[in-house]
Amino acid sequence: MANHGHHHLEVKAFTTPSTLKVLIIALIGVGLLSFGLGQYLNSERAWTSYLVSFFYFSCLGLGGLFFSAIQHITKAGWSSSVRRYAEAMTSFIPFILIGGLVLLAGAKSIFPWTHEDVIKSSALIEAKTAYLNVPFLGIRILVFALGWFAFKWFIVGNSLAQDKTGDEKLTLKNVGLSIAFILFFAITFTLFSMDMLMSLLPTWYSTIFGIYCFAGLFQSTFAVLSLIIIFMRRSGFVKGYVNVEHQHDIVKFMKGFTVFWAYIAFSQFMLIWYANIPEETEYYIMRSQNGWLVISMVLLIFRFIVPFIALLPRGLKRNDNHVIMISILILAMQYLDIYWMVYPNFNEGNVTFGFVEIGVFLGFLGLFLLALTTFFTKFSLVPLKDPRLHEAIDHHVTY
Amino acid sequence: MAKSLPGIAAIFEEEHKVVEAARKSRDLGMTKFDAISPYPIHGMEEACGIKRSAIPYITFGAALVGLSVGLFITWYTSVVDWPINVGGKPLFSLPAFIPIMFELTVLFAALSSVAALFYLTGIPRVNPPVIDPDLTSHKFAIFVPENEVGYDVQKLESFYKGLGATEVKKVAEY
Repeated sequence: MANHGHHHLEVKAFTTPSTLKVLIIALIGVGLLSFGLGQYLNSERAWTSYLVSFFYFSCLGLGGLFFSAIQHITKAGWSSSVRRYAEAMTSFIPFILIGGLVLLAGAKSIFPWTHEDVIKSSALIEAKTAYLNVPFLGIRILVFALGWFAFKWFIVGNSLAQDKTGDEKLTLKNVGLSIAFILFFAITFTLFSMDMLMSLLPTWYSTIFGIYCFAGLFQSTFAVLSLIIIFMRRSGFVKGYVNVEHQHDIVKFMKGFTVFWAYIAFSQFMLIWYANIPEETEYYIMRSQNGWLVISMVLLIFRFIVPFIALLPRGLKRNDNHVIMISILILAMQYLDIYWMVYPNFNEGNVTFGFVEIGVFLGFLGLFLLALTTFFTKFSLVPLKDPRLHEAIDHHVTY
Repeated sequence: MAKSLPGIAAIFEEEHKVVEAARKSRDLGMTKFDAISPYPIHGMEEACGIKRSAIPYITFGAALVGLSVGLFITWYTSVVDWPINVGGKPLFSLPAFIPIMFELTVLFAALSSVAALFYLTGIPRVNPPVIDPDLTSHKFAIFVPENEVGYDVQKLESFYKGLGATEVKKVAEY
């Protein structure tokens, strides 16, 4: 390895490009306007579009923390420089707390189990009211969001503290914290996805639902990581520390979790299709009528088949423009997937999409970019004192 | 690679020297030589000029065959040869076939990859000739078969000695 060490290493301080600054303000403005106008035109639709985007970006924030935790637990060296980008994604986690509390204001418009007549109409729903009630939902959101925030605070905080002190004990501390986080995350994210999405159809249940949401979460996390890697390399903020070798491995992960998503999605579908029990099939019947079948097929083709084949060749994983295209496709499909889980329950089961959905999404995108750029401006783009950084610099994908 | 040919072997005692020797050999236009090391050396494939393996393509081809065989078997058994009504579902029910298609895809791809690996690397080789027993612990070698481009024992001996080889010896058949 000593004979291979001629890398040009450089890391600059990040400054948000002024066009991006304007864009972020504009995006947040568009989001607020659309949400406000949506409230005025059709309150229920404003809230459902809010739910889709809120869940979407909550997933990205948590995905960043989950990725970091995995790297700490496995004591991965190759990813120590990429980990900083994932840590930046976690800076959206505070917004999960705020966004979740805002969501409670719209609980009546979103969750059918908040209505007395719906509860009375079905013994199945009535039996679930001990869990499905607004005060308990509020407590759950608080516990989940505060818990995630606490783990982010310590795990990312240790990594950032190491930038200053270079204390190697912080790396070891993060192993235990990360194990605790993953256990906490497994339970809380399952419940979170059940609360946010599954309870929209309170008579329906699927035991694999949490993993299904997690599969989408992790696939889209890698899409964002790929985009950040390419942005940082192209704009010249980071040279050498993160290079095409890291991109190659992150895109391998993205391909892997593309397959994982399909595997889980099919597992959920096939068991329900096979058993053919009315309470379970309801979910897929709603998604095969009124134009939803087309969207279900689009998900199958563009969330699995196309990215899978497009990410198979080695050369294409190392091709920036190709990776940008597929990452954006995956991110669009993650939106479509959450939309597909939420919207058939509303608007009489018809496909409804328009400026409210787009506008609210752009608003959240603005918040997410604000969180990322603020993080990058405040902290070093590379964990320069990470004891395993040399492994990342020498990282080389063999064939 | 699998064929046994006589040739010469240059023995090195340092990792960076053998990588350098491999790179210089490639620069001379040699294509058939091989590097021998007790452990994988970073950057050696590139120094030897080894091209990417054909195995991924074999894997992909075998995967497609497995997928088709899976579809054929499930279709033939449940639609043509022995149709049974299961829960009122159509005889040709793709969701029920996908697990079998998936498993056969993986099975064909995996077994073909291993078979291709064995074939392309020429293993198992029972009782291969021993160039130097230390090559499995702390020494490295460049082996040049006699059908190499510009094979000349005297020239190669001084060439590798100049690159730091501690010994250059004839190998009957490697």
